[in-house]
Amino acid sequence: MVDFSIYEIKEPEVYAYKCPDCGTLYYPVPMVCSKCSCRRDPSGVIFSSWEQVAMGGKCRLLTWTRVYNLPEGFDVKYLLFGIVEFENGLRASGRLMVDEPETGMELDTKVGVIKEIVGEDIHGFMFHAPE
Amino acid sequence: MIIDELEKKLRPPELDLKPYPPKVITLASGEQMVVREAKREEIGVLLGTIHPLMGVAKDYYDIVASRIYAELLGWYRYRVANEFVLVGTIDGVICGLVNSRLVDKDTGMSLHTTAIKRGLRVGAQLFAAKMEHHIEILSQKEVHIVAESPIGFKRWMIEYDLENREDQYPGLRHELGGVPTYTLTTELYNAVREQKVTGTRPVDAALLATADKLKMPEEYPQIPGYKRGK
Amino acid sequence: MREVAIVGIGHTVFGNLSEFDLVDVMGFASCNALQDAGILKERDLIEQVFVANVGGGIINHQTGIASSLVSRIGLEPAMAELVENGPASGSSAIKVGYTAIASGMVDVVMVTGGELMRAVTGWKGTDFVAMLSHPEAEYNYGLTLPAFAGMFTRLYMEKYGLTERDLALVAVKDHENGSRNPFAHVEIPCTLEAIHEGENAHVVNPYVAEPIRIYGTCPVSDGAATVILCAVDSPKMKHFTKKEPVMIRGIGAATDTHCVHNRKDPLELTAVKLSSEKAFEMAGLTPEEISFAELHDAFVILEFAISEEVGFFERGKSKEAVKEGVTKIDGRLPLNTSGGLKSKGHPLGATGVSQVFELVKQLRGEAEEGRRVKDPKHGMAVNFGGFGNNVVTTICSKK
Repeated sequence: MVDFSIYEIKEPEVYAYKCPDCGTLYYPVPMVCSKCSCRRDPSGVIFSSWEQVAMGGKCRLLTWTRVYNLPEGFDVKYLLFGIVEFENGLRASGRLMVDEPETGMELDTKVGVIKEIVGEDIHGFMFHAPE
Repeated sequence: MIIDELEKKLRPPELDLKPYPPKVITLASGEQMVVREAKREEIGVLLGTIHPLMGVAKDYYDIVASRIYAELLGWYRYRVANEFVLVGTIDGVICGLVNSRLVDKDTGMSLHTTAIKRGLRVGAQLFAAKMEHHIEILSQKEVHIVAESPIGFKRWMIEYDLENREDQYPGLRHELGGVPTYTLTTELYNAVREQKVTGTRPVDAALLATADKLKMPEEYPQIPGYKRGK
Repeated sequence: MREVAIVGIGHTVFGNLSEFDLVDVMGFASCNALQDAGILKERDLIEQVFVANVGGGIINHQTGIASSLVSRIGLEPAMAELVENGPASGSSAIKVGYTAIASGMVDVVMVTGGELMRAVTGWKGTDFVAMLSHPEAEYNYGLTLPAFAGMFTRLYMEKYGLTERDLALVAVKDHENGSRNPFAHVEIPCTLEAIHEGENAHVVNPYVAEPIRIYGTCPVSDGAATVILCAVDSPKMKHFTKKEPVMIRGIGAATDTHCVHNRKDPLELTAVKLSSEKAFEMAGLTPEEISFAELHDAFVILEFAISEEVGFFERGKSKEAVKEGVTKIDGRLPLNTSGGLKSKGHPLGATGVSQVFELVKQLRGEAEEGRRVKDPKHGMAVNFGGFGNNVVTTICSKK
């Protein structure tokens, strides 16, 4: 049987993963749950590959920086990055789309193209001021 | 001096260029670098400073030095129009040199930038001074820029956000290679001025006096064991 | 466990060595150490080689580097393996060398760390170092080690009132020490006025990853360093009479979460604390007994944070010590007497070994004038891998 849903054009998301036994959320996902030692099999064949939970929504800026010396492939003068905490307690790093950030400020989350490589757009968090 | 009629035919028409007001920059080591315009009469010291670098194959020094040498002679012998030369000096010793020229009153054509003293961002400071001269002192609208070193050039492209004028090629080309050029406009310059251009004016008279007589460097970090021949 | 002594040390100049071959550079440091130990002709005493390197396969297109080095300096048939732990590779290689001797498997080990990062452009070099981070959650964004240091510094400044001036003070101190170190990458001292107070400072010392400036980060360097270890109870110690042996008294290491955002407290460097606790316990020493230390200042903020995390100063209070001159060469607790990573340079694989090289040099009383610690008894090196997710601490003492 062919799963034709794999051809669907989905909205890009960044996923947290949920341990099927104890329900703990992880970002990024490990191979074994640190709370209950439940294992994960990315292929889903031997163990569950764990449920994906889309991340996003409101978050708080924990810290940020404006980086001038960027790696190969990022040929812009600077980029802003931040570490945020979501309402569910999960934290993440991401691009900061705010010109004058302040630690502690409330932000909202979009998922956008953070890097382009041949044949692929890579998506990630873009934190912006609440609309 | 009366100029021979034939000689006059070989000299380009010249714009009247405002002089560059000297300034002093305190480098990270605490050393004071005086940045001032060089005079035609100082050509001997300038050529002598650049000459040893013509033999350094690393980091594009050979081509940059060779071209600067030719451009300095072109300026000195009135075969290049509207060229200016700025030097950075520490205690009178030349630690870096930039040169450039004006195509017309609005357009500049950046030529070269070379730093002899390394590790103190002398090149970056002198490049910024060159742009300051074009845009602020000479009131030009834009300056065309390319470079021999791809890495050095990429840095300028990113840090100054240079405008890509490739689509105007070959009508608009940079003299240094006839390649498609990138351009620093007044607007782009003003956007980075605060972070890039620095220096104190006027220069204290005693300090400026140390830069009166330019001296060739005795040491070149690019040439280990160098000794200036008699 | 058997007692292990350092009986020979070697170092190359740190700087731009990109015109040379990586293994040649490592070989040069190795031979310096063999000569220092007095066994260049008798180098078949080396039974085991550990090599610390991170970028060989990525930047220099070379793998199997440990095997390569063995042949380059004629050490066959010595056993040889590569140890990779990011910027902490050097100390990890020493740790593994120590355990090889302490276990009784071998008596004499050579540890060489080296890196040739300047073989590629600055952008590729930055990208290479950033590969330490989590591929999906960090690397893909273009996050770099300086970016993490910038975010850490911002929080530290907000919580403890650290200022850019405090950071500049340490840069000045490091450069002053480095200017007297013939191996240092940057031997030019810098002045506080020029990099912080003067009106040209913001251009001469621009931001790299706000609020960190260029004089708050180490340069990109090439270079290698070597230490030779021998079991104190081995009959082979009789070959090492040229120099005073220095003891490895304690080694500790610990890991923390890979993703920086998952650290329990964003301002705590738990792996530093745990690794140093283990090292102190093994050495039977307390922080107060340490005479001097090399602390991994790839970013100047880390000299502050690590010095507090290991217990030299109370949290948030290291800046007072810096202002009082406590950490200068003539202070009570000289830090980064070699110039630190800031001035000496940071070839990733070499750094951990270079730090221990400095401990030995000072404990032997061989450091250059102007950067000599007075009467040192115990020295400590903290080698920081990733952005603090794998840290190795080494304590060395006079015999």
